[in-house]
Amino acid sequence: MKLRALSYLMLLLAAPATWADNALKDVVIDQSPTALRRGAATVTGVCMACHSLKYLHYRDLLKLGFNPEDVAGMSMGNKLEDPLLAMTPPDVSEQTYGRVPPDLSLLAKAREDGPRYIYSLLTGFYQDKSGETNNHLYPGIRMPDILGWSGADASQRAALATQANEVTAFLAWAADPRADERRSLGYYVIAYLVLLTGLLYVLKRRVWARLGQGSN
Amino acid sequence: MAQRLIDWIDQRFPLTSFIKRELTDYPTPRNLSYWWNFGFLAGFLLMLQIVSGVFLAMHYKPDVTLAFDSVQHIMRDVNYGWLIRYLHSTGASAFFAVIFIHMARTLYYGSYRAPRELMWWSGQVLLILLMASAFMGYLLPWGQMSFWGAQVITSLFGATPLIGDEIVLWLRGDFVVGDATLNRFFALHYLVPFFIVAMVLIHLVALHHVKSSNPSGIDLADKDNIPFHPYFTAKDFFGLGVFLIIFCGFVFFAPEFFIEPANNEPANPLLTPPHIVPEWYFLPFYAILRAIPDTLGGVAAMSLSILIFAAMPFLDRSRIPGGARFRPFYRAMFYIFVVDVLVLAYIGSQPPGGLIFKIDVAATVIYFAVFLTLPFHSRWEERWLHARGLPPALRNLLDSASEPQPRREAR
Repeated sequence: MKLRALSYLMLLLAAPATWADNALKDVVIDQSPTALRRGAATVTGVCMACHSLKYLHYRDLLKLGFNPEDVAGMSMGNKLEDPLLAMTPPDVSEQTYGRVPPDLSLLAKAREDGPRYIYSLLTGFYQDKSGETNNHLYPGIRMPDILGWSGADASQRAALATQANEVTAFLAWAADPRADERRSLGYYVIAYLVLLTGLLYVLKRRVWARLGQGSN
Repeated sequence: MAQRLIDWIDQRFPLTSFIKRELTDYPTPRNLSYWWNFGFLAGFLLMLQIVSGVFLAMHYKPDVTLAFDSVQHIMRDVNYGWLIRYLHSTGASAFFAVIFIHMARTLYYGSYRAPRELMWWSGQVLLILLMASAFMGYLLPWGQMSFWGAQVITSLFGATPLIGDEIVLWLRGDFVVGDATLNRFFALHYLVPFFIVAMVLIHLVALHHVKSSNPSGIDLADKDNIPFHPYFTAKDFFGLGVFLIIFCGFVFFAPEFFIEPANNEPANPLLTPPHIVPEWYFLPFYAILRAIPDTLGGVAAMSLSILIFAAMPFLDRSRIPGGARFRPFYRAMFYIFVVDVLVLAYIGSQPPGGLIFKIDVAATVIYFAVFLTLPFHSRWEERWLHARGLPPALRNLLDSASEPQPRREAR
């Protein structure tokens, strides 16, 4: 029991960093199909060395406009119906980093202002005086500076910022792949309801006109 | 042919006469404003929640290892699963918004007064059932806020003297919120709506016995009543249309507005979120809970803050008919109460702190003071109004109401 209380306490101390959302960078995420596909390539090729996106399946990538051959190239021998799992087994990652790297499927929805959070985190790495990499948004992060942001010069950073933007776009899509479908259906629903409500208003006025004075 | 069928039924069941009496000819005050639309909207939302809930239950799995994944399965793989789920999650918030407005209308127009006390009390039971259902439903997605919210709220029962720990254990079915809790909350979340439906029927039977109140607050003469159909069917459906435009705006364009980001992370019993917030509709009551440093006192105050509405027919001693319209002091108190509840909601959403706590205490005191001073100032207001002379509008209404009438219950 004591041990359990102690582990609670330690995790409590570690927790605030997980939820830190201060100093998010102001950025517009490019949601174009090209950016999404390029982001998908980076995520499957780089991030998924350690992270999983287990709520996505390789077949879902076809919706981004990839050919089956492209997806086969990214899936490293996995089948289309397989979920996107990390290439490193979770227990190996846990030994290396001390915890299993979080699944990324819902990250863009699991943080306040999620897409900006992801972008700011990826471009928030720096080298402290002792030469260790750290992160402005998430001090003490165990994830390595995978894009190499902290060591890059200004011209390299422009390219890295674009790459971080594409990764963010893809992760935002991964968290809510039905968003486009939802919105495009939403326009029809709202248009229909506005028309219907307009007609209902006319009906109401006509019915109430029978009362004579038409009060209310 | 159709008429023969109806005749056949009518000989065995009062179908035509029931529809005539309770719907088409049902006498309704002609002066009802759109504030009287919200009971109908609440009924619509109850149906929406039940229908969408049944379809969610076909794909949801109440098991700690599967619950979160099954919600993602609904969101991603089930045909229009995202729509069903967002209708249900947005519907819960809309339900509370509509019910709060419905209650505010009742308070403003004094609709809780004789002869409608039983309507008010059945409504009070409905509010508690709705809160119970919402609380248990919120555990089901098994996200971080689901888990920690349930953990915190169930632990409050531990404040019960002597048997607190046993009650918490009994509620959870385990020492912490776990698989047993999730299973029973799912079972009860499916069950409670049927109690709500039954209570709504009682609410409606009482309504059709005493008839609707109206903005004047006076039982109007029969000449001022009009049949419910087509007048109020037309009015209610127009109101429903306006409501649906706003509702679908959230469902299709901002469905995550009512979902805490932390609830998109699976429940983790080992990782406490730094700031556990309940859903927005519980925030005022949560603020009252936190205003009292002692747990038992806080829980008592929170329970009382919900139950005290039931005392309204006793607390309001004024015999001036009508609600706030003819009662300036009561009207002022009503607005103070509304603002106070909004302040409490904001306070409940903030992390506890020095200034926040002070405002919390002050707002809680005002919350209860509004109720507890009502017996005194309602009497005082009545004397003052008589001394000043009743306003002509009220006098006219009273005169017209005292004309001979075939039906007048209570005072």
